[in-house]
Amino acid sequence: MGRIVLKHVEKRYGKDKQYAVKDFNLEIEDGEFLVMVGGSGCGKSTTLRMIAGLEDITSGELYIGDKLVNHLPPKDRDIAMVFQNYALYPNMNIYENIAFGLRLRKEPKHEIDLSVKSTSRTLEIEQFLDRKPRQLSGGQRQRVALGRAIVRKPSVFLMDEPLSNLDAKLRVQMRTEIIRLHKQLGVTTVYVTHDQVEAMTMGNRIVVMKDGVIQQVDSPRLIYSNPRNMFVASFIGTPPINFIDGKVVETDGGKLQLQTQRSYLAIPDAHAELLRKHGKVNRRVVLGIRCEYAHAEPEMADRHPRSQMTGTLKVAELMGADMYLYVDIGADTPFVVRTTSGFDCREDEKITVTLDMSKALYFDKDTTASLMYE
Amino acid sequence: MAMPLLRKPFRFKRQSRLHRMSRFEKAVVVLLVLFSAFMLLPLVYIFNHALKPYEELFIYPPTIWARSPSLQNFVELFNITSDSVIPVTRYIFNSLTVAVLSVITVTGVSALCAYPLSKHKFPGYKLVFATIMLTLLFAPETVTIPRYLVVSNLGIMNTYWGHILPMVAVPVGVFLMKQFIDQIPNELLESARLDGAREFTVFLRIVVPVILPAVATIGIISFQTAWGNVETSNLFMQDEQMKTFPFFISSLTSNMANNVARQGAAAAAALFMFIPNLIIFLVFQSKVIATMAHSGIK
Repeated sequence: MGRIVLKHVEKRYGKDKQYAVKDFNLEIEDGEFLVMVGGSGCGKSTTLRMIAGLEDITSGELYIGDKLVNHLPPKDRDIAMVFQNYALYPNMNIYENIAFGLRLRKEPKHEIDLSVKSTSRTLEIEQFLDRKPRQLSGGQRQRVALGRAIVRKPSVFLMDEPLSNLDAKLRVQMRTEIIRLHKQLGVTTVYVTHDQVEAMTMGNRIVVMKDGVIQQVDSPRLIYSNPRNMFVASFIGTPPINFIDGKVVETDGGKLQLQTQRSYLAIPDAHAELLRKHGKVNRRVVLGIRCEYAHAEPEMADRHPRSQMTGTLKVAELMGADMYLYVDIGADTPFVVRTTSGFDCREDEKITVTLDMSKALYFDKDTTASLMYE
Repeated sequence: MAMPLLRKPFRFKRQSRLHRMSRFEKAVVVLLVLFSAFMLLPLVYIFNHALKPYEELFIYPPTIWARSPSLQNFVELFNITSDSVIPVTRYIFNSLTVAVLSVITVTGVSALCAYPLSKHKFPGYKLVFATIMLTLLFAPETVTIPRYLVVSNLGIMNTYWGHILPMVAVPVGVFLMKQFIDQIPNELLESARLDGAREFTVFLRIVVPVILPAVATIGIISFQTAWGNVETSNLFMQDEQMKTFPFFISSLTSNMANNVARQGAAAAAALFMFIPNLIIFLVFQSKVIATMAHSGIK
């Protein structure tokens, strides 16, 4: 059983007992692919290493299966780990690298041979078995590292940024490979990355962390469309979400509007209800809107009336099919609009941006928490 | 398109490299070749000296090359002890035993000491390491008396332990090994632990193979020290049977200072002393040079 439960797990370092991980509570289901994501130093790797047993747990309880494993050494936790720098034994050939764990477990020779061969077939590294790790490329080495983890048939895989050392093309390839392996083997996997694209594409659920604290645990879709706070909203998605400061005001007709520096944006009724519930009328809030819900085409203005802003186009970034427009709307950071590559525009010209306000998100200005939850 | 390539004049690789050198570089090469030939002189001298018959040994001015080489000196060396209780082979056996045992213990102890210092960072490891480094400051002569007291109180006089134990602590060895182990990524050791390895398995199967150049270097250093060591025979061995070959040689020459007799045997013995060092160095030189480049130690 590959179920992992973390109850109030904490990690403190050093003399001044600074928190690396604070009050971490999470249940990881058997067979789940969980991705932990966050900036560097957010505690995601520390958490993974605590699950692996490579790091002591300061307080809290950690269960793998139904067993409390706080004080169990790594080798008795029935886990396998893949590291960023592959960590292949340089003195052994690929066969021995994969067989090492099995040999230490004193498995019969013919079974070891069978397991190593079948694993290397799955990962297409059969032809390298008698080579040394230094004779392989980065992608091949990472395959070997995966093989070394798979061959032991553990109940949990832990992966610590396994694709960070690969080039962009190989990374995409290995990403699908790992997803395929997970589907095939159905083993619980905890995957740490700082790359939000990896997080979005690979995980059944994503844990977003910051300063050792969980910010949100949800499916990739929910993390993207309904983030719990401004950090999650800005961390997930490229280019990052646009934030606009504004004050919620009531019109004579009883409708709500967001008064920003340059314009008034109509707030749809569904959102207005939530904002009223949170008591944000006549208060300042932060509006968040992703670049795909902001339009520069003039015909969009008819579809979304009373939700326009004007600004100056600073930079137009052509990405192939898409183009990102960086518009100066008088705020500190430019407002990003996604449009098609055929869009006709010139830099330093005035531009009108139309927002699809039904897709907008609202955040508390002080606590940065989302106001989209009741 | 390939035609212009064909017209290029053929040259040996080495020759073309010489052509690429500037005049200054060529001068440097010539100078270095001369220097290395000069450095070779003692080796050539030892070889020839051992092969010179008596009448040539005392020729004035001395010659480098033996004019009529013979093995007469070696025969004499082995005959000297034929009438004494202890044959020369006993000294050689003692020396080999001591050298091999001390290579094994010194490399083993140094690596076992360096590994926790480098990777386990137990409380006070800095103090321990600093203390080990501090011992480098003491000249060997200053510790002779304490060393004698230790060996005597342990009751290991006239045993092989008396030869080996005073040699086991090699601070340079610990330092060198620690530098090497520092470079091993922690993930490598962690991954072995996750694979189910116990701490000693990690050390033996992962750490030692990776730091093999350092092991080889320490092995050579400790072999040379043990092989040429007279001190332990002098101080701790009263029993003639337990003394080593270098002691025997020094007794050959020093007891009969200015004596014409046995100079030939001494010359042969000097060659005998030198040859194992040479062989060991030649076998392991590539590893040693890798170590020197790696750690900046000579």
